[in-house]
Amino acid sequence: MASFLETAWGRAMWNARDHLLDGLTITLQVTALGFIGAVVIGLALCLITMYIKPLYWPARFLVNFFRATPIICQLMWVNYVWPPLFGWPTSLFQAGCVALALQSAGYLAETFRAGIEGINRGHIEAGRSLGMPAHLVMRRIILPQAFHMMAPAIMNQFMVVIRSSTLVSIIGVADLMHWGHHLSAEWFEPIGIMSTIAVFYIVVIGTLSSLFKWYSERLRNRYV
Amino acid sequence: MLPGLWYNFLVFFLVVVFGVVLGLIFSTIRLNTNIAVRAIAAFYIGLFRNAPEYITLVWFLYVPALVLSKLLESNVTFEPLVVAVMALSLSAGAFYAEIFRAGILSVPKGQIEAARATGMSRTLTLRRIILPQAIRQMLPEFFNECVSVFKGTTLVSLVMVPDLVYGVNLVSSYTGQALPLYTGIALIYFFIVFTMTSIAEKLSNPWRDKTR
Repeated sequence: MASFLETAWGRAMWNARDHLLDGLTITLQVTALGFIGAVVIGLALCLITMYIKPLYWPARFLVNFFRATPIICQLMWVNYVWPPLFGWPTSLFQAGCVALALQSAGYLAETFRAGIEGINRGHIEAGRSLGMPAHLVMRRIILPQAFHMMAPAIMNQFMVVIRSSTLVSIIGVADLMHWGHHLSAEWFEPIGIMSTIAVFYIVVIGTLSSLFKWYSERLRNRYV
Repeated sequence: MLPGLWYNFLVFFLVVVFGVVLGLIFSTIRLNTNIAVRAIAAFYIGLFRNAPEYITLVWFLYVPALVLSKLLESNVTFEPLVVAVMALSLSAGAFYAEIFRAGILSVPKGQIEAARATGMSRTLTLRRIILPQAIRQMLPEFFNECVSVFKGTTLVSLVMVPDLVYGVNLVSSYTGQALPLYTGIALIYFFIVFTMTSIAEKLSNPWRDKTR
């Protein structure tokens, strides 16, 4: 600790610890909101493509569009084009969350579709013939089974959201990456500061991904 | 603006080439029997698979040039393009390494042992038994990674490589015509990436069906 504070970059980071913590909070918030949004929009798009015939092609186009545009294009598109067009999002933070959500929604819609189509048809027919309404079959029969099959892909998508969340700093959201950049430029100590930030991200993402790996292996051993 | 697209393709091409080379090297090291040697590859793969590409880019933008300048006591700078290709290749290399390793591990051990037992040399086993099956297994993943590498090339605009996104940012800040410009590049990248994905699927499907 003492030797950390003796370096110029160590002092710079220690003095800005409040900003860095705020940045970390923003990073986590953007990731969480982006991911939750992605699950909701992805599920909606998936159900539309599967069950609402007239909206099939528009929904397919959206899925492909979200999947095939780079995240940086989408961030700028949402941030610069949406407000004059729709009057929303009203803050940079919201724009960041929406862009992350849209990007992952496309991938998740495909994952959900594969998961739902992978369910044994007999289970669905059995549920229906027992008199369950379609929504109950979906909730009690399809989704619980599909979740176990999709869990690894969903968790993988969560990692993609965290990795992409570093990019919200380019439209001006004050996340951890933003403060790393800011401090490096202010103190001109990028070696120490950027390396510390990088190590921080690597440790967080590495820990989460090993946790997810362990959990999905446990799920597979238990149910498959 | 549109000539900026060539930078995307140039970076894409270089990153795929260097990434595949790095991936081949590190997947071989990762499958080495010596645990210390294996740890080197595990470290590299863990580091670059977990580091967000943007961080890797910014780190390579600042740190190598500064460290070299201090060591050589002269002013060393790197071209932005070199920085971008270096960072993205190292990143992609880690992903390719894992794909190649999974492909090679997907070949049943018994087949390799059978080949060795019938007197095939190691290289012949690799050429006739392992690679034909491993390549079929990893083609879909390999093409997926190539597509994400292309999407990743848009990040080079952040380290001052004048690609399409960079040009659009510049023009947009002059003219204030955000709507057509950003919608336009979103559609351009959509068409390119969508075409690439379709071609990749066409290429990898017949290969996959032969063995399974």
